[in-house]
Amino acid sequence: MLNYIVRRLILAVLTVWAISVLSFIIIHLPPGDYVTSYIASMSASGSAVSEGEAKALREQLGLDKPITVQYAKWMGLMLQGQFGMAMEWGRPVSDVIGDRLMLTMVISLAAIVFTWALALPIGIYSAVYRYSFLDYLFTFVGFIGLAIPGFLLALIVMYVGFAYFDANVGGLFSPELAEAPWSAAKVWDLVKHLPIPAIVLGVAGTAQLIRIMRSNLLDELRKPYVMTARARGLPEHWVVLRYPVRVALNPFVSTIGYLLPYVVSGSIIVSLVLSLPTVGPLLLKALIAQDMFLAGTIILLLGVLTVIGTFISDLLLMWIDPRIRLGRQ
Amino acid sequence: MNVLRPILALASVGLAGALALGSAASLAQTAGSGPPKLGSSLIGKLEGPEVIVDAKAFPKNFKEAPALAEQVKAGKLPSVDKRLPEPSQLLVIKPLREVGKYGGNWRRAFTGPADHENGNRINSADKILTFDYTGTKIIPSLARDWKVSDDGRTTTIYLRKGAKWSDGKPMTADDFIFWYEDIYLNKNIVPTPFFEFQINGKDGKMRKIDDYTVAFEFPEPYSFFVYQLAGSTAIGAGLATRGAFQNFGGAYAPAHYLKQFLPKYSSEDAANKKAKDLGFDNWVSLLRNRYSWALNPDLPVMTPWRTVSPINTPTWSMERNPYFWGVDTAGNQLPYIDRITMTLAENVEVANLRAIAGEYDIQERHMGLAKLPVFLENAKKGNYTVRLDPGLNGADVALHMGNSYEGDPEIMKLLRNKDFRHALSLGIDRDQLNEAFWLGVGAAGSVAPAPDTIYSPGPEWNKKWATYDVKQANELLDKVGLTKKDSDGYRLRTDGKGRVRLEMITVGGSFVPFTPVGEMIKQQWRKIGVDVDIKELERNLAFTRDNNNENQIITWANDGSEVLFLFPRHALPVDAAESHMGMSFAKWYASRGTAGKKPDDPEMIKAFDLFRAAYGMNDEDRTKAAKEIWKIIVEQTWSIGTVGESPAFMGVRIVKNNMGNIPDRQVNAQHVRTPHSSWPETFYFK
Repeated sequence: MLNYIVRRLILAVLTVWAISVLSFIIIHLPPGDYVTSYIASMSASGSAVSEGEAKALREQLGLDKPITVQYAKWMGLMLQGQFGMAMEWGRPVSDVIGDRLMLTMVISLAAIVFTWALALPIGIYSAVYRYSFLDYLFTFVGFIGLAIPGFLLALIVMYVGFAYFDANVGGLFSPELAEAPWSAAKVWDLVKHLPIPAIVLGVAGTAQLIRIMRSNLLDELRKPYVMTARARGLPEHWVVLRYPVRVALNPFVSTIGYLLPYVVSGSIIVSLVLSLPTVGPLLLKALIAQDMFLAGTIILLLGVLTVIGTFISDLLLMWIDPRIRLGRQ
Repeated sequence: MNVLRPILALASVGLAGALALGSAASLAQTAGSGPPKLGSSLIGKLEGPEVIVDAKAFPKNFKEAPALAEQVKAGKLPSVDKRLPEPSQLLVIKPLREVGKYGGNWRRAFTGPADHENGNRINSADKILTFDYTGTKIIPSLARDWKVSDDGRTTTIYLRKGAKWSDGKPMTADDFIFWYEDIYLNKNIVPTPFFEFQINGKDGKMRKIDDYTVAFEFPEPYSFFVYQLAGSTAIGAGLATRGAFQNFGGAYAPAHYLKQFLPKYSSEDAANKKAKDLGFDNWVSLLRNRYSWALNPDLPVMTPWRTVSPINTPTWSMERNPYFWGVDTAGNQLPYIDRITMTLAENVEVANLRAIAGEYDIQERHMGLAKLPVFLENAKKGNYTVRLDPGLNGADVALHMGNSYEGDPEIMKLLRNKDFRHALSLGIDRDQLNEAFWLGVGAAGSVAPAPDTIYSPGPEWNKKWATYDVKQANELLDKVGLTKKDSDGYRLRTDGKGRVRLEMITVGGSFVPFTPVGEMIKQQWRKIGVDVDIKELERNLAFTRDNNNENQIITWANDGSEVLFLFPRHALPVDAAESHMGMSFAKWYASRGTAGKKPDDPEMIKAFDLFRAAYGMNDEDRTKAAKEIWKIIVEQTWSIGTVGESPAFMGVRIVKNNMGNIPDRQVNAQHVRTPHSSWPETFYFK
């Protein structure tokens, strides 16, 4: 058991290192560098960067050096617990990400809670009362939810909110409170703004989870042990919840690995459309601007979280499923 | 990322589409008989506040904002007459309509830390000199006066005695000398001298005459330098703007504050340690951060507003500078508006939707011309008015020819043939483009600037080689030797390798919809038998291909070209930082023949020579030279103009109805730093 965990840990560290190299290469793949992108974006907004300025900027940011030197610099910084400067933001990368991390996690967790709170009971219901009217209805609604891309839903929700409810367009705070320090009023304001992004982000996932839950549970319900339990006179809800549901949860647990990075990145496109100050749009902008330290750190962070998440879900699986646990001994 | 782009594009189209639903009917009501009138009725009279220079007309008694008066009472601030410069040295602005009221919070949108120009352009009073509201005449700003010596070698500026930084410390010639000696001449900070601070490759010098007089001296006549001081240049755009660009321009800096970051005033190690402690690589990168008013609320500034919450947070907010050195004609210290709050819009579509919902007080940046119908439809509900400010440049979409394109030899030969370029230009139906993409408010024509700008060679040059004439175009193409056609009517190459097939690069996500414009031109060129592939690229990739001479044709605006000598890069290939018209030639020009390639077109050499010489000429000769250069540019058609002089570029202005002193039309150009030329200091809430 311990041996297994240690082996997994060593592999995880190696994977993270490989991710750091890969993410750095990915960022350098597109042509040009931060300075070309800076000149282009300034030109697009009617401003100019002169040749001398461009040259100076390149020298000071170390962009004139070979990629290996740049990578070594980044690694060196990281070993000291720093991540370099976000070029466009003029602040340390850790600050820039840190600012957005909490709100991102709040939104993502809200979306996950929404997804699970809705998907699990509906999935169970649909499986138990298969081919009932409500099963068909949930299936129908679920497929629609699955088929509508999140950003499109976001656009529609936003327009309806603007046109009929005079809601603030996008964002997580009312303009008056955006700048204010944290207070009860601000938290309440956040809670009021939260449902729209949470629902938009959660809808597609909900539909998917309903389907998975339903089919997993159906498989289990047919098994002889369920019949035995029934035959022994256990109450129906007990029969279903105690054993088959537990087994059907396995796939959920194994997806926790992908949940963690999701919690941190949010959904890039939906966040962009709804103008949510999360890490997703930050990553997109950093990639467009070729802000290598910022983009590299976010990609690395997502990679690390995937690795940690997978590790945790392995452990969880061992815990909830005796078959896996016993099979290893 | 490349996968994301189309999705994002789709998302924005979706939003526009959703908004446009149901707007068509009301559009028909407001518009009457079609789109052209819709736009042109929104273009008002060019007007703006005036800067009073006659000291006899200056006010003698001064008032201040109530919030500041309270602070004075509480003993936290000196009284207003102690904060302002000496009465004869003031900046006095006559507001456009009336003396305003103090107060209010100006709400706006910004799109992130790269959008600093959003605030810079409001806060540009700290330019050394500036342009009046017509954009043609130089007027004082930070400096109260200036003088150019008869030989053109020396430009002297006179500072305002008693003017203070936003922390109350005096602003003097020493702040200029500090910038020159400790910032500009320090190779660690500014490795390459500014082009603007040189004449014919020779460096200028700065000299302190007395505490309030500074001279810029050049080894050769450089009478154009005064325009560099007034324009949006590295030397003249002011500390706020150039600091936000993080390039250490601006010609002056607050010595008393910045010295603490320089090794000269401590030691290399101490300066680096300070930087490391704050998470910066070295002292230069810390200085770069501390130098930007947008990033650093502690930086003393000379601007009407100063940053409270920096640009790298979700809200970029500013409050009035209690030491601002300008007053209105009644002696009220400016600005009128207390605060500016810019909220982050993660994408421009959200900014547009919020503007439609009436969430911004004045917003011209990021507002799309294509959304005009929706803006108008919701104007009453959002309680705002839409005004259009046309630009002065000839083409919002110019087809910049790859004059130094290197690749397919046949295409290379064609692109360097003047008749071929003329034929392409004559094959474009600009009126159709204007109606479809500019709602008819643009001006169809060549790349030449608006006829009422000073360097315009005359209105006939706006039409020259820029009319729709399929017959003449076909004749020219025949003359070029492209006489054979395939069964679809497209002309064949002379080397037998199939059709003449050009490649036009368009860039997505711009103020102007380059790709659809390109697609329409592709249809129009069918009639002259020229095939073209429209290829939309990411901005950065397009620019990199420019640098490698790989683009045959690229669409880009020629904004800024109306002030030829201040911003020539969109009119002539002379700037190696950005050139869509031939990077090899730009490098050749900029390096004075030591790098790049010499153009084989003698007319281009002629234009280059005139252009270089013009910086040393007097105003009259320089204007003549500019007109001459424009004639060459239009005649040679190194870029093809389509539609310009339109409000597409930051010229769709959404203003709440409770705002006062708002010009009906303001000049919309880079060199005046719109909206600075309308002096936002005088805007107020009624």
